[in-house]
Parts: sequence; C-alpha cells; structure tokens
Amino acid sequence: MNEGHSRALFPDMTSGRWSLAVLVVLALAAFPLVESNQYILSVFVTTMILLVMNMSWNFILGVAGVWNFGQLAVYALGGYGAGILMLHTGLPPVLDVVVGGLIGAAVSVLMAVPTLRLFGIYTSLLTFAFAEIVQYLILNDGSGLTGGSYGFPSVKGLYSFLSPVASMHAYYWTLLGVIVASTVAIALVTRSRLGIALRAIRDAPAFAAARGVSPLRYRILAFGLSGFLAGIAGALYLCFEQSIDPSIMGLTPMSLDVTMLVIGGLGTIFGPAIGTTIVTVVETVLVNHPGVQLTVVGIFLLVIVVFVPGGIVGLVGKVRARLSAWAEEGEEEAEEPEATEGVAPAGGTAGALDPIAIHDTTGAPTDVAP
Amino acid sequence: MTDLVGILVTTVILGSIYGLVAIGMTLIYGTLRILDMSQGSMVMIGSFVGWGILVSAHWNPVLAIVFAFAATFVLGMMTQLVSVQPLMGRRKAIDFEMVTFITTFAVAMILENVALEVFGPQQRNVTPVVSGGVNVYHGVNLPYQSIAMAAISILLMGGLGLFLGKTRWGMAIRAVAQDLDAARLMGVPVSKLYPVTMGLASSLAGVAGVFLGAQFFAYPQAGDLPLLEALIVVVFGGLGSLPGTVYAAYVIGLIQATTEVFLGTTWSLPILYGVILFVLIFRPQGLLGKPSEARL
Amino acid sequence: MSEPLLSVRRLSAGYGATTVVRELDLEVRAGESAVIIGPNGHGKTTLLRALNGLIRPSAGEVLLDGEEIAGRPSEQIARLGAVLVPQGDGLFPEMTVEDNLLMGAFLGQSWRDRRRSLAHVYDLFPGVKARADQQARTLSGGERRLSALGRALMRPSTILMIDEPSLGLAPVALDAVYGAIAELKSAKTTILLVEENFTHVGGIADSIHVLEMGSITRSGSYKELSEDEGVVAAYLGSIT
Repeated sequence: MNEGHSRALFPDMTSGRWSLAVLVVLALAAFPLVESNQYILSVFVTTMILLVMNMSWNFILGVAGVWNFGQLAVYALGGYGAGILMLHTGLPPVLDVVVGGLIGAAVSVLMAVPTLRLFGIYTSLLTFAFAEIVQYLILNDGSGLTGGSYGFPSVKGLYSFLSPVASMHAYYWTLLGVIVASTVAIALVTRSRLGIALRAIRDAPAFAAARGVSPLRYRILAFGLSGFLAGIAGALYLCFEQSIDPSIMGLTPMSLDVTMLVIGGLGTIFGPAIGTTIVTVVETVLVNHPGVQLTVVGIFLLVIVVFVPGGIVGLVGKVRARLSAWAEEGEEEAEEPEATEGVAPAGGTAGALDPIAIHDTTGAPTDVAP
Repeated sequence: MTDLVGILVTTVILGSIYGLVAIGMTLIYGTLRILDMSQGSMVMIGSFVGWGILVSAHWNPVLAIVFAFAATFVLGMMTQLVSVQPLMGRRKAIDFEMVTFITTFAVAMILENVALEVFGPQQRNVTPVVSGGVNVYHGVNLPYQSIAMAAISILLMGGLGLFLGKTRWGMAIRAVAQDLDAARLMGVPVSKLYPVTMGLASSLAGVAGVFLGAQFFAYPQAGDLPLLEALIVVVFGGLGSLPGTVYAAYVIGLIQATTEVFLGTTWSLPILYGVILFVLIFRPQGLLGKPSEARL
Repeated sequence: MSEPLLSVRRLSAGYGATTVVRELDLEVRAGESAVIIGPNGHGKTTLLRALNGLIRPSAGEVLLDGEEIAGRPSEQIARLGAVLVPQGDGLFPEMTVEDNLLMGAFLGQSWRDRRRSLAHVYDLFPGVKARADQQARTLSGGERRLSALGRALMRPSTILMIDEPSLGLAPVALDAVYGAIAELKSAKTTILLVEENFTHVGGIADSIHVLEMGSITRSGSYKELSEDEGVVAAYLGSIT
C-alpha cells in the first residue's frame, strides 16, 4: 500500500522509496492477472471501495479534525444519486459517478454549515443525527425512488458491456487508479495552504482565528472535497454491487470504519490503507465467527487508542525516529551533547500554538520538516 | 380524549426510562468529560441478566434488579479502568473527548459481540417484572410492568439526586466535576471516585435494561436503540446538566408519544433526530447546559 | 529546637520542560507563620502546587511532619493535614457556600463534627453564614476569599497554606481577610502564606522568605528584612 507518488514533492521521497512505491502499485495492478479466484478479487474490490470512502473520511476527521460522523450518509447519498441518474437518464455511467461525487460534495457542505458553530462532541452528535435521519428516510421511503429497505433496483454499473471476468478486472484497475489518484491528491492538499490552515484550525482554533484563518471558508472547502470523494466511493459501490441499500449506513459499519482509521493512524496519508487492510483481514479470517470477529476488532481499537495514540503509522514513525536518533547520537555524541534541548516549547498548549508543532502533528513520520 | 390520556401515560413511562438511561451518561459527562458510548451495552447486559434470572432461573424479580445493578456496576467500573483511566493523563488534550468517545465505543463493541458469541443473535423474551395491568381510561390499558418501570426509574433518579446532593461521596462527585484540583485538595481520592462514578451510572442503565428487556427482548443489539435515545436526551438537556436531562427525558418522551399516536412508530426516531438537529443548530447548549460547555 | 514541621530540600518543579521552582530550600516550624514574598511569575504558586501534590516535583524532597510527601498525589498529602487555599480560591462554583464548606470536611469526620466545624466557621465569618445558601459562583471576591478560608478551617490542619490572600480584593474585604488570618495566627495555627509584597503581612509574619527566580534568596524575621534596603525597595514600595 505504499504507492508513493504522493511523495513527489517531498524531499524525503528518495529514489529507493519511489521504486518501492511503484513496485507495490505494479504488483497490485498485476494481481488480477495471476489470481483467477473471482471471490478473492471481489473482496479486493470492495475493500478498495471502502478504502476510498475511508480516505475521504480520514481527511475530514483526521486532517481537518472535525468530528464528522455523518460521512456514511454522504457516501450512501452519492451512491443513491448516481443510481437514480443511471436508472432514469441515459447519461454515460462515468458521468453518473462524477455526479454522485458532486452530490456527495453538496450534501457534505450542507452538513458543514451547522457544524461551524459547534465544537467537538456536539459536532459528532449533529452529524450522526443527520446520518440517522438519512438512513431512516431511505428505509421508510415508500415512493419507489430509493427502493426503501429492500435496496435500490438493479443497475448496470460501469462495465456492463464486458464479460463478468473482464468487468471484475476493469473494476479492480479502476479502483486502484482512483486510490492512487486520491492518495496523491490528498497528500498534495494536506501539504497545501488549505491543509495547513485546516490543521491550524484543528490544533489551535484561537491562534488560527487570530492569524486570520477563517474556519468558514476552509472547513466548507474541506467538507466539499471530502464529500466529493465519499460520493465517488458511494457511486463506485453502487456500480460494482449493481445496487445499494441502507444497511451500508448505521452504527455497525460506522464503528468498523472508525476502527480502520484509528488503527491505521488518523490524519495520516497511509493510515486508512493500513487500517482498512488490517480490519478486512481480521474480518475475512474470522468470517464464520461474527461475535469473535468484532470482539477482536474492538480489542484492537481499544489497545491502539490507549497504547499507540498515533495508530500504526504513528508507531512506525516513532520507532524510526528513535532508531535514527539513536544512530545520530552515536555519531555526534562527542561534539554536541544537548543540541536540540531547551528549544522545545513547554507543555501541550504552547506546543499547539507553535506553527511548527502544528506541522508535526500530521503524524506521518517522514513529514517532519528537516 | 383517549389519545390524550394515552399520550400522557406514554410520556411518563417513556420519559422515566429514558431519564434513567440518560442520567448516567450525564453523570459521567459531567464528572469525567466523556460521552460514554458503553451505556447502551449496559442496558443490553441488564436485559440479559433479567432474562437469566426471570426466565432461566425463575427467581424473584427483585433479585433481577439487584443482580442487574451489581453486574453493570462492576462492568462500568471495569470499563472506566480499561478505557478511560489509562487516558486520564491526556485529559487536558484537545482530543480527550474524542479519544474516550472511541475507547468507550470499543468497549461497547466488545460487550455486544461477546454477548453475540455467548448468547447468539436470537431475541429472547424476558418475563415482565410484574404481570397484569389496569384500565386507566376507556381503551387505555396500563400494564403494572410499565407502572413499576416508571416508579423505579423515578425512585432511582430521585435517589441519585439525594445521593449527589446530600451525602459525602455524592458531594465529592459533584466537587470533582466542578473543580478537579480543589476536590483533590479536599482529600477526595479521585482515582477511586472515577470508576465508582462510572459504575454507578452504568448500573442505572443496567436496571433500565431489566425493564426494557421485557418490553423489547434481550439480544446483543438491545442496547443500540436506548443508546441513541439517551444521546438525544442528553444533548437536548444540555451535556452535563442533571436537571436538564430529567426535563429533556420527559419532553422527548412527550414528542415520541405524540409522534407515535399521530404518525406511527417508524417516525418517532427520525422526528427526534430532527428535533436534535434543530436544537444543535439553534441552541447547542441544550435545555439547561451552560454555553461554555458547548464551546470547549 | 525540634524538627521543623515542613522541610523542603532542593525542590524543583515546573510545567513540562519549563522549570519554575529551582532547588528551593525552606523550613517552617510548628506554630510559626511564614510568609513568602516575591514577584509574579517567580514560582510562588508553583511552589504551593508542588507542595500539595497538584504538580509533580521534578526533584528534591519535602518532609511534612517527618513524612516524605514529594510526588505523592494531593489527596494523600491532604490526609496528612496539609490544607491549601489555592489561587482563585478553588470554590466549587455550582455548589452552595454551605456545601462548599462541608466539602472542606470531606476527610474523616463524623457528621456531627462537620456540623460543629460549620458552626465554628460561621461564628468566625458571619458574612459567610449570610451567604450559606447561595451558589459560590455568585459571590463577590471578598466573600469568595472568606468562604475559601472558612472551608480551609473545616478540618484540622497541620499546616495551612494560603496563596496570595490579598489578590484582587477591595480594601474592606482585605481587612476582613487579614483580620481572619491574624486570628488564626494567634490560635497558633502553622501558616505558610504567599504574597507579592510586604504591604499586608507585617502583623502576621514570624518569618519572611524572598522567592526570586524560583529559589529563596533571603530569609529572616519581618524586622530584619524590613530594614534591608534592597528588599524594601523591591517589595514595599509597589502598593500605596
């Protein structure tokens, strides 16, 4: 999952890492050619769809730090929107997917406006309430537009003109492409003015406001971007499954997605990929023991949050930082005993006010400016 | 007229039971600044204890309540020790509420799925604590079970009020909620008080579970709906305000009772969420919450 | 001479990477009322917080009545009889004044004892009694300070520590507060009091310690230090 195109602009993207990233992407791309088991391929595709959704959520939850628990409703509405278009208009399916993304963006922005006045836990309650309402409205929709609790009427999807095997491959590569592209895009956005502003608003709202960083503008932009990606994910889900139903929302899917993000490392570039993979593997291995399955996931979540605050990406970063610090210590011990001590700001609050510290909190280990 | 009486009766019953589940959440939020997502699982555990004692063992209903109280008290303490206590060092951090929200959520997930593994997914009937009923008005039948449920809820809420208002340890809980450092200076052993507070709050939800189990079966997801309803009540009442929670519970009960009579049961939750959206947009601090709490 | 009641040796404390109190030494004998004066930001409040376990000292030792208390949690230190009136008074804002006072007697007393202490505090501060049923957050600054002082008297103390009792008070309230402290002193209560300057402490200080840059730089009787020109120039002239 180390497709490293995202590091293109980053000084720490060595040629070795580049090759590794390209290699991983190529290996993933070649996988369908050697794996003929359609079930396994379909697990990969659904996982990748979920990953796109998780990446969109990670952006708003981790990078922007807005406790949005309504993302699954955005995801679902993107899917439903694309489905309705697909069923009732003759637009090319690709356009339906794009419109699904736009619907996601619009819904997300709509949800963003009331959250601007709220903080922390209240935001999560508001967005969660919104998602619940969406789910209930769809569940009890008797008009036939969404299919209600029975699920959406069957649609053709993106690749109905291909044979089943070819279409599976096509979805696989489409998703891989979307993931690589959105990873690059998210990495760039996180590095941009917008990303810095969002993290400033997240870590030190007062400081950000004093510096003229407007939460209104940046948050709505962030919600829009994240909603667009979620909508795309929902539309792709609809296309691949050829249907969609309200059970993709609600408490259980939400808790799984949150677990994926937290385990991987909230707010990091590769955290969603790592978390989604781990949880999917656990789910797949224990598929015959639903109780044990989610118990294990829950324990995982608890242990990670309590003992490994940065998730697995954060842990890897810490280990690496300690290793390199240890190596440097060995080299420079004789000359510079306490080079960096004493500059560190005191306490958490001071740290949060330090723009460099804000920079550091992305959690991605290699992001730390030299 | 029958509608009106029906609505009033349902309001009192629903409001009381909502209050009982939600007041624990408020107590925990007020004291520890965390939104305890495991409260729903405590309701579920209470339902299973009720099923075990009333259906499996055929014991006295009073024992069901006592055992549910005890079991969820211990579980609540353990939840605190496992999912909150290790994080207390980070309680000043900006994301403390979020982190504990997630860890208590993880506990809920674990409890729910352990129950799924142990008891299986099927819904189990729980015998009402008391059977029979009384006709209060033409066509409005009121089961004794509902009366008992409302009465015990009100009794427990009142008891909690007295405990917090008048007793040494109850006052200590309030003190910790209002000024942690000052409470420690008074000699309040905070590290013991936190688990006890969470155990107490959980045990109220556990008792509610015994009654709700008879109403809606005992099954692993039996806590989801009560959790959502309690969340609504807690937000509506203002996070951390005990009187607010009690008022809100009855207002929410009234809204739900009215919706059920005029629109049908399926509409009650969406309408409640609509109310919550409205409250959060226009009065984020809820009914009685302090504005300062809504803003960090 | 007997052992000092409170003995602080080479104590360091601070917040995060910042050390505020540096290798501070201090002794307070039983029955003595000691006053620490020093400019703002030089570690007075930090010292009291460290002594009472609200922050963890980074180094040094603190003996209270012969027991090592450095690094212990404040609830344990409170059990040994240390009582602190913290900066900002630390009243429980949503509780009534009476409940605040009762919380002062949280540690090991029977209900009747609590009532007796309550009556005693009300005798001492009739102004507090008049506000008994009022919520603490509605009090004026002077009432608040007296209530906090009253709460500190609700249980027997081995040492009573007070953080800047004059801070933010109007002259009338100030007289009441210092009058109460003087009474405590005459009752042989061991007091460790912190102030920014000399102005109010003349009548009550047995000994004065000057706290600068986190350490005690001068110690002596009120008389000695009030005749020291450097000290007087720094700590007497600031309030008229």
